[in-house]
Amino acid sequence: MPWLYLHFQHLLLDHIARAREASAPLAVLCQGSRCVLQACPRAMARGVQPGTALKTALNLAPELVMVHADDNRQARILEQQAHWLYRYMDRITLYPPDGLLADAGSVRRLYGGLQPLREALQKALGERQLHATLTTGTTPLAARLLARAGADCFTEGTEVMATNLATLPLAATELEQRTLQRLTRLGLTTLGELQQLPAAELARRLAPETLVHIQRILGQRPDPQTSWQPPHEFRQRADFGLPVEKAQGLLFALQRILADLESDLQWRQQDTDSLLLILHHYRQEPSHLQVRTTGPEHRAEAFLNLLRIRLEQHPLQAPVETLELRVTRFLHRHTATSTDLLGETRDTGEAWHTLVSRLQARLGEQALKHLAPAADHRPERAWSACSLARQQREPMPEHLPLRPLWLLSQPAPLQVAPEEWLSGPERISGGWWDGERVLRDYYIARLPAGQLAWIYRHNQQGWFVHGWFG
Amino acid sequence: MSDLLNSLLDDARLWRGHRQLATEPTPEHTGFATLDKELGGLGWPRGALSECLLDGPGIGELQLVLPLLQRMTKRQQCVFWVNPPFTPYAPALARADVDLGQVVLVRTENQPDLLWTLENCLRSQATGLVLAWPDSLAARDIRRLQLAAEAGQSTCILFRSRQEACQSSPAALRLELVPDDRLGLKVNILKRRGGWPGQGCRLAMAARVQQDVTEASTVIHGPWPDHQSG
Repeated sequence: MPWLYLHFQHLLLDHIARAREASAPLAVLCQGSRCVLQACPRAMARGVQPGTALKTALNLAPELVMVHADDNRQARILEQQAHWLYRYMDRITLYPPDGLLADAGSVRRLYGGLQPLREALQKALGERQLHATLTTGTTPLAARLLARAGADCFTEGTEVMATNLATLPLAATELEQRTLQRLTRLGLTTLGELQQLPAAELARRLAPETLVHIQRILGQRPDPQTSWQPPHEFRQRADFGLPVEKAQGLLFALQRILADLESDLQWRQQDTDSLLLILHHYRQEPSHLQVRTTGPEHRAEAFLNLLRIRLEQHPLQAPVETLELRVTRFLHRHTATSTDLLGETRDTGEAWHTLVSRLQARLGEQALKHLAPAADHRPERAWSACSLARQQREPMPEHLPLRPLWLLSQPAPLQVAPEEWLSGPERISGGWWDGERVLRDYYIARLPAGQLAWIYRHNQQGWFVHGWFG
Repeated sequence: MSDLLNSLLDDARLWRGHRQLATEPTPEHTGFATLDKELGGLGWPRGALSECLLDGPGIGELQLVLPLLQRMTKRQQCVFWVNPPFTPYAPALARADVDLGQVVLVRTENQPDLLWTLENCLRSQATGLVLAWPDSLAARDIRRLQLAAEAGQSTCILFRSRQEACQSSPAALRLELVPDDRLGLKVNILKRRGGWPGQGCRLAMAARVQQDVTEASTVIHGPWPDHQSG
């Protein structure tokens, strides 16, 4: 029953401060009026207060980084917070733009009371450099209003909650402005005073909606909550107050996100093999960087190394305003095979994946190939190169004729007369079925320089070298 | 630290786990008895570079490393072919019992990428063997690769032009490969660890085209006269 509400006083500010390495003062501006809405402690020290006009603020702190308040953006940030809160509590409801509600009753026994839960949450908030007011209430709305009013009310006792609620000023109950005026004229200032009036009278004098609202606060009327479901993907954004121009500047924020990803994957007990990094630019199409590892991976360090290589290879097209990391593919985790007693033979599977992922990140996925024989009589078609990602084994052809170890990608005309003929001819004729007809007589011959060549005679064009017996 | 502990540490009877020495790695035999004998039983050096210097392809240079390739892939160690001049022909490798699942072909576009790739491959624990065909390498780069090979304890064989023979190189083993007139391969040891250079041997490579050397003296006449007339 007790409901827990987290009210983030300045979520946007905390979020941006977290993504930035530099320590410039930061302020959030009102969307319409040009004044400061929220200011970070560093800006506060310079005299920039909430409510300060923009011009004054700029004079006080010329290097001030300003961000416009944006409810959509803040709602997205709020959902990020729900992600980590979900590890502590279930049945979370989002109250955009700045609040999260959770049912504390269902986890009370798990934590052994609300106080240990509060400590755990405070620690988690501290790690994420977030500032939030935590309150409990008997109803969702009560918890929310107390938190928004900034009341210090975190308790397990329902009586204490009720008294706290009774002292709540009516101005903080989110009633309509007109209703509020009427109530003030009646001489009512706190919720407790309103509570003592008979409900029928209230409904008659005020609107019925007002009564519903008050009954919801007091728990006399049901207030069902829809629980938030964590999506089956990982998505985090880092917003930079000032656009970042160098890839180096992204790494700081990336490190944080990847650490979150690691703990998220750890929590899911899953791995992933592809990350999508989206860089949002100012008035430009966002650029997408896809990074793949060859095997399942969850370590932040491994991802960071790959992303670093990738960013070195692909310089930023434009300054980056927002960075977004998305992981939608999750793989089952399997335990690594252990090493022997003295630790001399290592498990090379993981090393192999790391190496190949690194090479692919720098050289591109097409630069690395596996080779396989293919079932065709034509020498240039009797092999295939496939990418490393697919590890399917095709059965080896039963009979493999004598072939050179080197094959020329394009047959080269024979320039010198061979000294010695070693074997041949071997007639290869085929391809009439797909239009690339081949009719050749192959010989093995030794050239004057001592090289063993695999040469053929084309029925019209003459002699060609097609391979070397290296 | 207390005296008692110090005296204990000085005692040779006390075995300390973290100071264990890795067992001596078994040498990577070349698979050719005569060459192994010339190399003093050391074979291809592990954790070091080797160089093969040759003029042109098709003289049996891959045949020389084929036993090593077979062994490495059988041990499930990865073999990288970096920038080979031609396509390693998969049917022939499969015929020679090389596990193609362990063979990775790498193509790089420029010199910095090549060096970076080689260094990363050599440093990795997963790599067994790196075969590389670099265009040109400065002594500085070779030394760097040498250090990387030492760190990763992997074997690396560079195939370079014979003109480089006169240049000095930090590689641990340098072999000059010259074809002989009976389909064999003359291997001159230009440099090796733990011994004097200057030895050489002759390796029979005729088996790669299923020929006996005695038979090779009898010339098989192809349709050559036909070509000369036309």
